[in-house]
Amino acid sequence: MPWLEIDGKPVEVPANLNLIEAARLLNVEIPHYCYHAGLTVVGSCRMCQVEVEIGGRKSIAIACNTKAADGMKVTTKSETVQKLRRSILEFYLQHHPLDCPICDDAGECDLQNYYMEHGLHDSRMPLEEKKHKHKVVEVGPHVVLDSERCVLCSRCVRFCREITGTDELGIFGHGRDAELLNAPGRKLDNDYSGCVVDLCPVGALTDKDFRFRRRVWYMKRTASICTGCSRGCNIFVDWETDRRYKDPVRRIQRLKPRYNEQVNEWWMCDQGRHGYSLVDSPDRLTVPKTNAQGNGHTPTVDEVIARATAKIEAAIEKHGASSIAVLASAASSHEDLFALRKLFVETLKVQNLDCTFSFEMKGKEDEILMRADLTPNRRGALELGIKPWGGEGQGGDDLLNAAVEGEFDVVIVVRHDLSSLLSERVLTKLRKNSGYILYLGTHHNGFAELADDVLPLAMWAERDGSYTNFQGRVQKTNHVFDPKGFALFEWEIWKKFGANFGVELSESSCFDLFNSIGRSVEAFSALTWDSLGAKGAMLNGVPEPPHRRIQTSRPLAAY
Amino acid sequence: MIGNGSVRLLSKNFDVPNMATLDVAMKHGAYDMLKRAMKLKPEEVTELVKASGLRGHGGAGFSAGTKWGFVPKDKFPRYVCVNGDESEPGTCKDRLIIERDPHLMLEGALICAYAVQAERIYIYIRGEYYYPAKVMAEAIKQAQAKGFIGQKILGSDWSCTVHLQNGAGAYICGEETGLIESLEGKKGWPRLKPPFYPAAIGLWGAPTIVNNVETLAFVPRILDIGPEKFAAMGSPKNGGTGLFSLSGHVNKPGVYELPMGTLLTDLIHKHGGGIPNGKKLKAVIPGGSSSHILTADECENLPLDFESVAARGSMLGSAAVMVIDETVSIPQLMHWMVRFYAHESCGQCTPCREGTDWLLRLSKKFLEGTARKRDIDDMWQLADNIDGKTICALGQAVAWPTKSYLVKFRHEFEALCRN
Repeated sequence: MPWLEIDGKPVEVPANLNLIEAARLLNVEIPHYCYHAGLTVVGSCRMCQVEVEIGGRKSIAIACNTKAADGMKVTTKSETVQKLRRSILEFYLQHHPLDCPICDDAGECDLQNYYMEHGLHDSRMPLEEKKHKHKVVEVGPHVVLDSERCVLCSRCVRFCREITGTDELGIFGHGRDAELLNAPGRKLDNDYSGCVVDLCPVGALTDKDFRFRRRVWYMKRTASICTGCSRGCNIFVDWETDRRYKDPVRRIQRLKPRYNEQVNEWWMCDQGRHGYSLVDSPDRLTVPKTNAQGNGHTPTVDEVIARATAKIEAAIEKHGASSIAVLASAASSHEDLFALRKLFVETLKVQNLDCTFSFEMKGKEDEILMRADLTPNRRGALELGIKPWGGEGQGGDDLLNAAVEGEFDVVIVVRHDLSSLLSERVLTKLRKNSGYILYLGTHHNGFAELADDVLPLAMWAERDGSYTNFQGRVQKTNHVFDPKGFALFEWEIWKKFGANFGVELSESSCFDLFNSIGRSVEAFSALTWDSLGAKGAMLNGVPEPPHRRIQTSRPLAAY
Repeated sequence: MIGNGSVRLLSKNFDVPNMATLDVAMKHGAYDMLKRAMKLKPEEVTELVKASGLRGHGGAGFSAGTKWGFVPKDKFPRYVCVNGDESEPGTCKDRLIIERDPHLMLEGALICAYAVQAERIYIYIRGEYYYPAKVMAEAIKQAQAKGFIGQKILGSDWSCTVHLQNGAGAYICGEETGLIESLEGKKGWPRLKPPFYPAAIGLWGAPTIVNNVETLAFVPRILDIGPEKFAAMGSPKNGGTGLFSLSGHVNKPGVYELPMGTLLTDLIHKHGGGIPNGKKLKAVIPGGSSSHILTADECENLPLDFESVAARGSMLGSAAVMVIDETVSIPQLMHWMVRFYAHESCGQCTPCREGTDWLLRLSKKFLEGTARKRDIDDMWQLADNIDGKTICALGQAVAWPTKSYLVKFRHEFEALCRN
């Protein structure tokens, strides 16, 4: 463990750490463009030059390719270093189009930031002599390139080479004609293409979805996790609701990956990145709905709950608890499932309950992040005691089949859009064979039309909630903004039901519910809402997985 | 004027007709030294070369034997790369060696490969050198047929193959790590240092010795005359002779083989026949276009070896001496030089990519008559911002001469300025 001095402050750092990372430990930011901790070091931007003194010899070195060594004295703020940075910035800015007013990256652009911090020079470059390159190049379905803004740091090129192994981008031409472009005949069309936008230190690569949407300084940022699959990538939700004239519906402007070395490092998949559109979709269910009366009257939540309660009570009285089936969802949070279990399993003694369905396991799986299991909380559901339904070798699919065959009077479906999964014929059969269908969903769909009663659910960005990913890591989403319309949290609905059946559910928030889970469920003992923190915590007794450096298993040779 | 000089060590057989054919070459002793070397232990060969004081003739002047000694003990496979990407303006010696005596270079490369126990030799020849590459290909074929290349060479346990690769015309591929990248099939972008020496991590990550054509061609001669005699031929720390490419305003331009440490004025006047038409000497570029320019005064009494030229504030480099008489405009010369480097910059790191282009635009102003005095200082400052701040030495290659032209001939630039 070498001891070194950075700007006069002594620090002990782990072995093999470069100076950029070592300085970060002291909260000293050494400016850089090409360096990224997740990619190989190329040392081409020359922005991170610092003064290094070792053994009495002073020299200028690039911090990204200099390993911290014992007795090293690093100066990051001297006049010499400042002059070097200014000279490099001048090189970068001589041909830069200076179109910050219309650039999406303005406000989070490293050229801007470093210029304000280290440059502040006047341009020696006459405007008419500036070089022109390609603009508005659609390098892929999600990404647009403006070559004039590009600083040729090659982060995106290395990402496509080292992380995804797809090699779609390259720097072509040499000298002053060097330019970032697609490899001939290839589009940037991999599952992680949005990451190159995060990597781009300037506004050269922009997300088609976010282009010209919002100035970044208007947006607010909330930490959360992606609920698109069982990985649970850590994200930031960038949202803005005050400027309705731009787009009256859209609240989330974009999602950005949030670093978590155990889960997703710096990356996230395009599916997750653009998955937010469901939250602000115009198809959202915002009010309860009933098809029973058929007179266009919109019921209140309490009316629907009262009617459903009556149906459940009647069914239990007539045929017992076995006439009720609950098709729960592993996309629900621990709190939802805890309340659901308390109501149906513990109080009403309903046996026909499952949340594992094969149609949810058909996502794309790869070695980077994506998981075939598209539910964020399957492991959590199992830990909470929601076990596969039926006897040996049976499960949720069999429960659904039994419902179709008419074995149950009351069928309660949470979140699943059965209309898109079952054929018309099977669906009609289910409708005909079931006395009463209650649907709790987030979006208008065929099944919401078919169910007797429908209750609207809040989505992940509108609520707090905790989920256990496939590794056994418990992580949480945070409340970003209030639910749309009259949408409710799922646990809130079960609590209202519970009141009708005499269930004691004193907790009135997600935090309380999670803390109750911690007290009563073995796997969650020692966990509280606050202990989850920003990066989550492992289930009781599950060891932290080893830190996996995410990269393709078929990299191009790099030495 | 080819290979003419005061001594004929390397260029001994340059005038022999058909020297490129193996039969003729063998009559003149080709591959005898390989046989002699293979009777020694590999380390002994390295020691011999180290003792001879042979310096790299590609430009940096690094001790060849020391470089061979950098190969890690237990890392295999190992490679030898022959750098025949001779692109420095003014340099034309490697071409001559390959055309006139390819077996000499091949033998030297094989001895080097034996010394480091390499299993393959890559000969990287500049793309524009079409004819030399053809000669070399034929030489390799013949040497292979005779068993000097291939499996179990000369009945030993050591096998070595030779692979000829043509470049595609990039100056930067003459930089050793750029050459390696190019050989690997990638864009010829020089690698980041550290790791400093390809001898430890080179081609495909394996230990690789990259030596210039001329350097390797000297190796059989060292074995022939012995390292002591070789070392004694040159000046201190600079063993043997060197091929000097003399060009510019001299009566007899050409490649001259002279002992290291020969006086620059001797080269120009005694061997080169002086400056034509009785013109006065203005300046000399002593080591290829990337070296600092020397004024006429600085050329006096200057021995041409690596240390002496460096002491005068320039470098011997590839020993391409360009003589400039009083008719030459230095701003024009600079524009020509900067244009070359701006064109050949690989575009990898910022100072060189952006800086060379900017220098080019500024230097053009002097020719167009739009320059102001401020531009002289701007150019010097720009060159200084490139100098030493880049991944490879191309940054220095443009910064050094630019700075020296601006400082030593500032009056000429000022004369071209407006106001």
